[in-house]
Amino acid sequence: MYIKASSTISHQPTFRNKGFSWQLSELNPFSALLTPDYSAFIPAMERRRMSEVLKMSIACSIDCLEQAQVSQPDAIIVGTAMGCSIHTKNFLDKIIDANEGLLSPTSFIVSTHNTIAGQIALLLKNHGYNMTHTQNTLSFEQALIDGILCINNGSKNVLIGAADEEETTIYNMKGRLDNDSIHLSCGASFFILSGEKNKALAARVADVATFGLTDDPASLMKEFMTSNNLLKGQIDLVLYANGDQNKTKELETIFGTGKIFDYQKITGTYFTNSAFAMDYAIDILSQQKHPAFDTEINKVLVCNNLIPENLGLILLDTQND
Amino acid sequence: MKIFVTAIGIVSAIGLSAEENHCSLKAGITGIARSPKYNVMLGEVKLTNEEIIALLDLPGEDFSRTTLLSLLAAKEAWGNNKIASDIRTGLISSTSVGGLDRTEEYYFDSKKNNSSETYKLMTFDNGGITERIACELGISGYIGTISTACSSGANAIMQGARLIEANKLDRVIVGGCDSIALYDIKGFSSLNIYDEDLCKPFDESRKGLNLGEGAAFLVLENDQSISITGNTPLCVLDGWNNATDAFHQTASSADGKGAYLAMVNALTKANITSDKISYINAHGTGTGNNDLSESIAIKNAFNNNIPAFSSTKGFTGHTLAAAGAIEAVFCVQAIRRQALLPNLNFSTSMPETGMIPQTIYQAGVQVEYALSNSFGFGGNCTCLIFGKV
Amino acid sequence: MLNIEDLKLSLKKEIIDELNLEEMKPEDIDDDAPLFGDGLGLDSIDALELVVLLEKYHGVKILDESLGKKVLASINSMAEFIQEENSKTL
Repeated sequence: MYIKASSTISHQPTFRNKGFSWQLSELNPFSALLTPDYSAFIPAMERRRMSEVLKMSIACSIDCLEQAQVSQPDAIIVGTAMGCSIHTKNFLDKIIDANEGLLSPTSFIVSTHNTIAGQIALLLKNHGYNMTHTQNTLSFEQALIDGILCINNGSKNVLIGAADEEETTIYNMKGRLDNDSIHLSCGASFFILSGEKNKALAARVADVATFGLTDDPASLMKEFMTSNNLLKGQIDLVLYANGDQNKTKELETIFGTGKIFDYQKITGTYFTNSAFAMDYAIDILSQQKHPAFDTEINKVLVCNNLIPENLGLILLDTQND
Repeated sequence: MKIFVTAIGIVSAIGLSAEENHCSLKAGITGIARSPKYNVMLGEVKLTNEEIIALLDLPGEDFSRTTLLSLLAAKEAWGNNKIASDIRTGLISSTSVGGLDRTEEYYFDSKKNNSSETYKLMTFDNGGITERIACELGISGYIGTISTACSSGANAIMQGARLIEANKLDRVIVGGCDSIALYDIKGFSSLNIYDEDLCKPFDESRKGLNLGEGAAFLVLENDQSISITGNTPLCVLDGWNNATDAFHQTASSADGKGAYLAMVNALTKANITSDKISYINAHGTGTGNNDLSESIAIKNAFNNNIPAFSSTKGFTGHTLAAAGAIEAVFCVQAIRRQALLPNLNFSTSMPETGMIPQTIYQAGVQVEYALSNSFGFGGNCTCLIFGKV
Repeated sequence: MLNIEDLKLSLKKEIIDELNLEEMKPEDIDDDAPLFGDGLGLDSIDALELVVLLEKYHGVKILDESLGKKVLASINSMAEFIQEENSKTL
């Protein structure tokens, strides 16, 4: 599946900054979200009801549609683990404040997980397929699988993305990941996928898979290699996320390469950060080089093992066929 | 390739099993009543969390009610199915509330009393609930969760079918669940669409919805899986489609464009003309807006030649994410029993359409294809079509 | 009780605040401009918000939809309604 456009808003200078992979340094734990002027993307009357996750998703989506010169995607598919958690918290606060009095409805109506995909469609007046996947760390990969199904069923251009905002009062992410030392962040990354090759971007999604509740991710990684006819050493770069730093040696053995890079250093931690990792991979593939390694990069694997029993794999390359 | 439904499981305000639910539909007995706790009309499942934990013989952990209801229905559907290395099996659930019942409990407590029960904050994650179901059934591999508000359950079913059709899976258990949360009661009340009395889908004097809770799951299999499991097909999932209304975040457009597109495209997918549909299980929430919009969409999709239709939300309440799955189960039963299901609390048709729903349970009818509509916030519209084997 | 001009200004500030009309100032809202449809462009959700606002800030209730349509038509009609209702309780 060819990638026609990509766009990320994050704690790093990624938005509308092609070549960003060579400019990023390790995420500053005190960094804030770097946002564009949203008024350029969203009219005021719509923007007033949007929390951060909605605004950044729409800005990235519009950026992608402009890059790809597509006015109406055939499908809009979003992955989000926490959905509109800021609005959810706001409505909980409103319930408390209102006591038994009248309650303001706005936060409620924009708090469902599918508000992101729904608001994109509303702004575009898009009547196509619209789906929201919410399988914690695998939300983006499942959105991607869904998008590929759409293309195989005849869709020409599919807008796919993932986003999560930072809201810690209603969900204990550090507890869930059993890791107090992670740097929580947030972001949105969107892409246009197409079945047709294009000159704009070099990268292609060659394969994507998810495995839930596995006790042997290493075997699954090896099987994924085999099913893609890949031998050890043939993946040029593995972008990896897992809480455990000691995993690097194991991955080097599985993939036969020393080029293993922990993408959480760049993205920070939020459940759908593998979408940012995919944009990062696309950016690296467009230059065929990563700042930390000497050799040419034509095949990148995003290996999302953020929750140890859940594995997401996205294989990207610059293969021309 | 055919996608077969080989099992169903359901828990709702009108029963704790597929059989109980169908008996209530047949007897015309609603499960909606005034809740002493919330003082609104609610379709509650008649079991406490403790009773469900005991029934399922679960360890005494702290569970979201959404997990518990899901497990009841999923276990009924899964039945004696076993994991086998030659059957690629997955699970796709759906929810809109997720574990919010626990989150809000903690949140409200902590504002009053500085609660230390922060473990309750671990349930907000929708995917975590689905993983719990998978764990109980012994499923690993493709485990996914859909969340598209009130069309979620239908979308989970559609997703399972698409993965089988694409040869990614052979068998998938699909469905959805939502449990009662004060969050939703307050939310729908704030929109002025919560009826103080029993809801009246498609009636001229309808005033809004009643909320409900519940869960339902279906097992979908391809030929390959059935040849190994030996399961008997109950019916076929012939068609599906999802489209977007793109009119407003909560209200449907006057002509129900999204709903119309979903129905028409589902018929195309099923490769049948609209006159083949014997029964429509409508979304029919009982709100002024939905029932009119959906009626117009049905009139247009069926060229004014409308088959028997009803909303069963007068029995179960609006179960949000579970609705699409619960109502899919009802459609499967309509086909199995060759019966039309009733629409409660109807007396006068809307002046705009004059449409009259099926008001009695009618057996001995030819039900060849049944269609189910589910529409959610964000203008998300899904239609499923089931047919006889 | 505020005089009507102060009440209207107050209403405009509350509306801008509660409806999150960030780019607007009170002087941008005409007293008799239609709030819904072609004027300010508010929608049905805003109508519900305004009902909440009237109760929260001015202690007045709107109990049915047709009354709501009349009262919420403009700043003028809202201010007049508040004054009428408040003079009843005096």
